[in-house]
Amino acid sequence: MNRSGISRRKFIIGSAVGGASLVASNYLNFDSWANSKNDSNDLKITPTLCDGCGNWCAIKVYTRGDRIWKAEGIPIAGNNHGRICAKGHALLHEVYNKDRIRSPLKRTGPNKFQPISWEQAYREIGEKVHEIIGKHGPQSLFLLQYPEGNASLCSRFMNALGSPNVFSHASTCFLPRNIGWWITTGSAKPEHDLEHTRFAVFLGRNIAAGLRLRQLSDLSKAKDRGARFVAIDPRFSELASYTHQWVQIRPGTDLALMLALGNTLIEENLYQKDYIDKYTVGFDELSQKFKDYTPDWAEQKTGVPKAVIRKLARDLAEYAPQSFVHRGYHGALGTQYKNSFQLVRAVACVNGLLGNFNQRGGMFDPPKVKLGKLDSQKFPKLPELEGVMVDGSGDVDRYPITPVGLGLTHSIPELAIAGKLKAGFVYHNNPLRTCPNPARVIEGYRKLDLLVSFDYVLSETASLAHYILPESYYLERDDVVHTNHCYDSHQVAIRQAVIKPLYDTKPMVVILIELAKSLGTGDYFNFTLDEYNRAALAPLGVTLERLKMEGVIDLGGKWEPGPPHFKTPSGKLEFVSSTLKDLNLPSAPEWEDPLVTPDESDRHSFRLIHGKQAHHTHAKTINQEYLKEISVLNDMTRVWIHPDKAKALGIKDGDCMTISNNVGKGRARALLTQGIHRDCVFLPSSYGVYSKKLHTAFGYGISYNDFLPTYFEPVLGHCMSNEIIVRVEKTPA
Amino acid sequence: MPRYGIAIDITKCIGCHSCRVACQNQNSLESNETFNWIKHRDRGRYPSYDKEFIPLQCNHCENAPCQRVCPTGATYTTKEGIVLVNPKTCVGCKYCMEACPYKMRIIDHRRGIVEKCRLCIELVRDGGTPACVTTCPTQVRLFGDLDDPKSAVSVFIAKTGSQPLRPDLGTIPKIFYKRS
Repeated sequence: MNRSGISRRKFIIGSAVGGASLVASNYLNFDSWANSKNDSNDLKITPTLCDGCGNWCAIKVYTRGDRIWKAEGIPIAGNNHGRICAKGHALLHEVYNKDRIRSPLKRTGPNKFQPISWEQAYREIGEKVHEIIGKHGPQSLFLLQYPEGNASLCSRFMNALGSPNVFSHASTCFLPRNIGWWITTGSAKPEHDLEHTRFAVFLGRNIAAGLRLRQLSDLSKAKDRGARFVAIDPRFSELASYTHQWVQIRPGTDLALMLALGNTLIEENLYQKDYIDKYTVGFDELSQKFKDYTPDWAEQKTGVPKAVIRKLARDLAEYAPQSFVHRGYHGALGTQYKNSFQLVRAVACVNGLLGNFNQRGGMFDPPKVKLGKLDSQKFPKLPELEGVMVDGSGDVDRYPITPVGLGLTHSIPELAIAGKLKAGFVYHNNPLRTCPNPARVIEGYRKLDLLVSFDYVLSETASLAHYILPESYYLERDDVVHTNHCYDSHQVAIRQAVIKPLYDTKPMVVILIELAKSLGTGDYFNFTLDEYNRAALAPLGVTLERLKMEGVIDLGGKWEPGPPHFKTPSGKLEFVSSTLKDLNLPSAPEWEDPLVTPDESDRHSFRLIHGKQAHHTHAKTINQEYLKEISVLNDMTRVWIHPDKAKALGIKDGDCMTISNNVGKGRARALLTQGIHRDCVFLPSSYGVYSKKLHTAFGYGISYNDFLPTYFEPVLGHCMSNEIIVRVEKTPA
Repeated sequence: MPRYGIAIDITKCIGCHSCRVACQNQNSLESNETFNWIKHRDRGRYPSYDKEFIPLQCNHCENAPCQRVCPTGATYTTKEGIVLVNPKTCVGCKYCMEACPYKMRIIDHRRGIVEKCRLCIELVRDGGTPACVTTCPTQVRLFGDLDDPKSAVSVFIAKTGSQPLRPDLGTIPKIFYKRS
């Protein structure tokens, strides 16, 4: 048996002794290998901006030879303070994804594409656009983008063609939030001095998944100092695990809670009187309006005990002005409910009562850097465009306060079906997956005579396009000067190529310049990217070379507390809005019911709510295998349901559920958790890719859009993405 | 010589997995290989319902069971107290994986060896911090010298009474957790 003469036992003992010499002999070698990783001669570090979401965090990307290795955050960058999230790290691999498009493509049949040259693509698109303008006028053209730094160039491209129809994703994301804050304070996206705050309430806002790295970093510092935080959400969000308290609220009733907070602040004399006298208008009318919204009334609506509501108001007041209710993003204050616009107004008014605007630990209008413009002598200025967008944005009779240039992205398919839109350009966006009611969206986009997609993979939308002009990946392209991530200081940054393009792709700015030539609008694009960037930097006293060396430059002028300035018609914070009064809309916040409510008599009836996970940004990151692995490992496509409700339906943890309504039907496995309100089920967003050309993500999970009817909220026109009632049942074996 | 360790503040972890992917990139790992994990645990009913995320990685034990059982001596401890695997002498027998009470070791299928968290020794020796520490949005991890009573990590452990996982096993881990 023991042929070698050494028993297993002896081998182990022997190797333990011998091991010491092995370690000694290899120790230096291994250490020098470990140390060599940072010293290798072909190591290069390039500063640039991430593209994992809309934050554009400043990062340093390390390359070994021509291969990307890793990234680190740039510490001075206002938006991320040297941190990077999982998406930021993982997207470095995406440049090597096999699903990438390698040259311009022309669609020859369903899911059939033929590689063509750039010249042929430009020529054929030019001819088609001319034909469509000739027949239907420039109003029949649109461009849809997830706004990048080059958004103003995309607008210029469309305006030069004579079309005002430039859409963003706003109507499926944040529209009411921006308009509500803008109407009330004159700042569409105020920031928070989180680092110095002492008490903060997050209403449906989950900065731990709709990630804001700077806010999290500041939150952490404030927590160390003893600040307290409360998360109000129908579900136990990732942020709720971080805050000191979670208040569970019936979905769609956040407005009642906010009105009751305002009521308590006023009735108990907890508001900042001097501040309100000096810097606000309409306090008396607001007090009158809020009289009926007592905590008792709100308890009925929200399910939150009146004692909790009163305590929240008293805590906010105790620490005011070093306290705030977060200005929100998508959740509750975004495009989720019919009453979201009133809710944003109410949140802004409650903050007004706390007197926290431009105060230490409160809120502020973030500093803005004014970039230079192209010299109009050398580069012709565009003629002013008249008229409103085809979807009624900016139209006094339809959506008067929805800004031109944001538009209603989910109206595009309807307008195409109605024959009002004939040709479209889609950039950095995937409406076939991110807009409600995909069957209708597909039908609409199919009606277009011309669809051009600027994408880097064959997303659902690109798969339907007539032409695909592949943009270089963000790590392969030089791009325009950015000022998006200033936060509390004046900063300028730039995205630049880390490696050479792997395939026959081009930066969007170059594509626009070249395409404009074949569309007959080349006169307005007679500049290069460098010229554009130099003109932008000219007033700042920063050279393009220096910016490319450093990636991000702080220009000083950090925000400091002081007397607030409001860019509203009255120059004050408007509890009562003159703009809304003129339009015959409720001028002070008031209660409005959500559009739909689950049927109490039917145990199968639920509201479907959704939200982000920290490692995904919708279509942008979903096809990334490092990120998918996180979802798979943690089984993260499951739908959350309350154990008591699940029990009544015979559903156990991990069971397959069928979710359906008159829009769609889908299957998902159940996650039974106490961390969800009984009235709703929660579906993590981003999943449900149905383009077969996205091999990592295809067929994994489902999307809330599959159940969302095409709605237009009456005042702003947004999509009301949480107004979904579904039937939930156990999938029969 | 410093004795490196990490203090992890569980009350700050949001389960975003930044640490996982930062680590994967730093160490050039495949998408399904990882040196750190985030487990979560929930308890209670509303209003006292709570969920915590628990980041896990090699504990760099001073009395490391993985090192004791390694038949080839591939697992060793550096002078800074970092437990490493020598890829040249590891034969991939997986004894160490069995011996690790925390199950923090994985198989590197490409090289046929066992791998684990290296506490980013190549960064640390340059005066940096491990990738998982640097990237964390909420600063969950504090890295430093456990032998220096004035280091941020030592002060934090002393102040909060942070404990290692399963101290009863006698492994003497160098990763400490603040639970509440």
